[in-house]
Amino acid sequence: MITVDDLIFEYPGVRALDRASFTIPQGRIAALVGPNGAGKTTLMRCMAALEQPVSGRVEIGGIDVLEQPRACHRIIGYLSDFFGLYQRLTVRQCLHYVARAQGIAAADCAAAIADVSHGLQIKDRLDQYPSALSRGLRQRVAIAQAIIHKPAVVLLDEPASGLDPEARHQLAELFLQLQRQGMTLMVSSHILAELEAYSTDMLVLRQGRIVEHAVINAPALRKPFRLVLAGAYPQLAETLQKLQGVELVRTDQDRMAIVNLENDGDRQHQVLKALLDTGMPVCEFGPATVNLQDAYLQTLHKQP
Amino acid sequence: MTTNPEFERQLLLECPPARLSSATAVLGTVFAFCYFLDDYRFGSISSAAALGLFWLITLLWGARQSLDSIVDEYRDRTWDTQRLSALDPWQMAWGKLLGSTSMVWYCAGFCLLVYTLAAGQSTDLLRFYFYAIAGGLLVQSAALLLGLLAVGRGQTKTGSILLPALIGFAVVAPQLGDLSEIAGLGSAGFRWQPWYGWQFAQQDFHRFSLLCAVFWCMVANYRLLAQALGLRKPPTAWLGFIVFLVVYLGGLIPSGNFALAMAGFGVCGGLTYLSVVAEPQQPMQIKRLLDYYRQHNWRRVIEEFPLSWLSFALAVPFALYLSANRAHIAWFELSLHSYPLAALLLILRDCAIYVYFCYGKNPQRALNLSLLAAVLLYGVLPGLFGALGLSGLSALFFPLWADSASGAVLYAVLQCAAVLRLLYRRWQNAIC
Repeated sequence: MITVDDLIFEYPGVRALDRASFTIPQGRIAALVGPNGAGKTTLMRCMAALEQPVSGRVEIGGIDVLEQPRACHRIIGYLSDFFGLYQRLTVRQCLHYVARAQGIAAADCAAAIADVSHGLQIKDRLDQYPSALSRGLRQRVAIAQAIIHKPAVVLLDEPASGLDPEARHQLAELFLQLQRQGMTLMVSSHILAELEAYSTDMLVLRQGRIVEHAVINAPALRKPFRLVLAGAYPQLAETLQKLQGVELVRTDQDRMAIVNLENDGDRQHQVLKALLDTGMPVCEFGPATVNLQDAYLQTLHKQP
Repeated sequence: MTTNPEFERQLLLECPPARLSSATAVLGTVFAFCYFLDDYRFGSISSAAALGLFWLITLLWGARQSLDSIVDEYRDRTWDTQRLSALDPWQMAWGKLLGSTSMVWYCAGFCLLVYTLAAGQSTDLLRFYFYAIAGGLLVQSAALLLGLLAVGRGQTKTGSILLPALIGFAVVAPQLGDLSEIAGLGSAGFRWQPWYGWQFAQQDFHRFSLLCAVFWCMVANYRLLAQALGLRKPPTAWLGFIVFLVVYLGGLIPSGNFALAMAGFGVCGGLTYLSVVAEPQQPMQIKRLLDYYRQHNWRRVIEEFPLSWLSFALAVPFALYLSANRAHIAWFELSLHSYPLAALLLILRDCAIYVYFCYGKNPQRALNLSLLAAVLLYGVLPGLFGALGLSGLSALFFPLWADSASGAVLYAVLQCAAVLRLLYRRWQNAIC
């Protein structure tokens, strides 16, 4: 759904994006994380065709974003870190304008506004001005603006900044709801705990480079498993790589390993049996929860 | 309502019922007062008040409104929302221009109505309406253009954008004549306007010129909005504008064989200055252009080619032609010559100085610093050396003082080489 290939963006004297490349399949929620100044906003803006990179390629839904920016705008929704709401229009007027500007026929606007305001629980705020709303509600209005035309891809830059824990939880629920509707989301944030609630992928951006692309909660048939041994087993990695249907994620001191297995009980039983048959001193084998914060920090520590 | 959401939005903001009724009440009171002063009829006082208010409303308020229609988007950070919409540049251009000034035109229409009632029978109302509406549209369209150029450079203070434009307008407006006089011109005021040997009625020529000005202003707005929306196009509109200006002005220069070439040189030179100031000057843009060139991506090279470079390149053949034909004229009986090649190199030097300051740490001051440099290079230094009797040194700073064309070119080349070298170093520092 989203393919970014060798993307380079430069500000005078600074390479903000350095050959950034990744692919996000349809229906995923990718968390874009990285320290301040890593290039997250620049990457988002390049993907939304709001900035022109020096070189590289961005493809969204089969559309070359750099060649056909206007075609891309029709299939994406973009939420900037400042919300971009018209303060002199009511919420309903804001949504009506954006709906019309996105090509929704005047006759269908009321239904689109009702639909999106219901989903975002802002139905009772439609006749208020954005300046009279709390930050959390303003942000919901901004998200409503971004998704009113039902885009296939939604890019959200720091959507949870400044929100209280309850609002963050509601936001996570909302993103999962959008994912269920078939949308692909890319969310940049510093708050990793909140990203963990809904992300399926994690992209770590550091100094303009994608240094890690980890699958966190793969909705597909594979699932991470944790294998712990009673003692060190030097051929651990080699043995796991040889086993059919086992995808090795990492090992730790030849005593622990994280592997991806098919989400099928019989298959998991066969893998465990095969491990025991090799004489491996297995003492623990079960589903692993991949902590986003741990994964992120581990990725950063791995980098020079 | 309409098929243009931007126009609808502007209308919603500008023309709420309360504003409409209060504007009607204020204007109604003003004209009722004039009516009483005119002895219970619409006479000369009403006519003058209506005309004065019309100009104030359409020019000052209208210019401010159309400028704000774009600057406000940038200031309120809603510009990205518009850039990501499905609106096309033309929809956006006329939606902003006519929508943001809808209240202005409502009030101006009120003034026109009173003027119509107060005007004498000798007044050509149709001609008056044409000049009034086209003049108002031109100023508002130019203000929108100014706003687009300003936000492209990151300027968002309406006052600092509009003030120089208003001062410029105040200087130029008196030269354009009194609208009421234009409207009152009968057959007694009929004059011919020569153009390439043809004779046109001056009024028709003015009308045509005004329409062309409105047309090119709207084309410029369209192109700048298209650029902001990410639509890349080759510079055909700019080329078209250059050709139009050369042909148009060439016909007005009464100097025989060299009219077209002189117009071409003047237009291209002038537009080089204009475009170098109007275009955002960023070192990365040149780097990107060179990358496209290395990749043989010619379409992108053409799309990204700076308009100032294009204008300058087009000035070169005109300068060569004028130089080859020795079409230099001594001005004011001073030893100041219009050596076209030297003048061309001075344009290059001036633009390079401006870009040099743009690539510096404080690009907002680039224009002021360039103007200061121009005062030094064109006035203070040559004047100082001239006063000391060192005319050779004067010509070194202002090559048009030189006694020969070759000397002028040599001095101009030396200056260009020095400035371009400095510019290249600064560009390299900026991109590394």
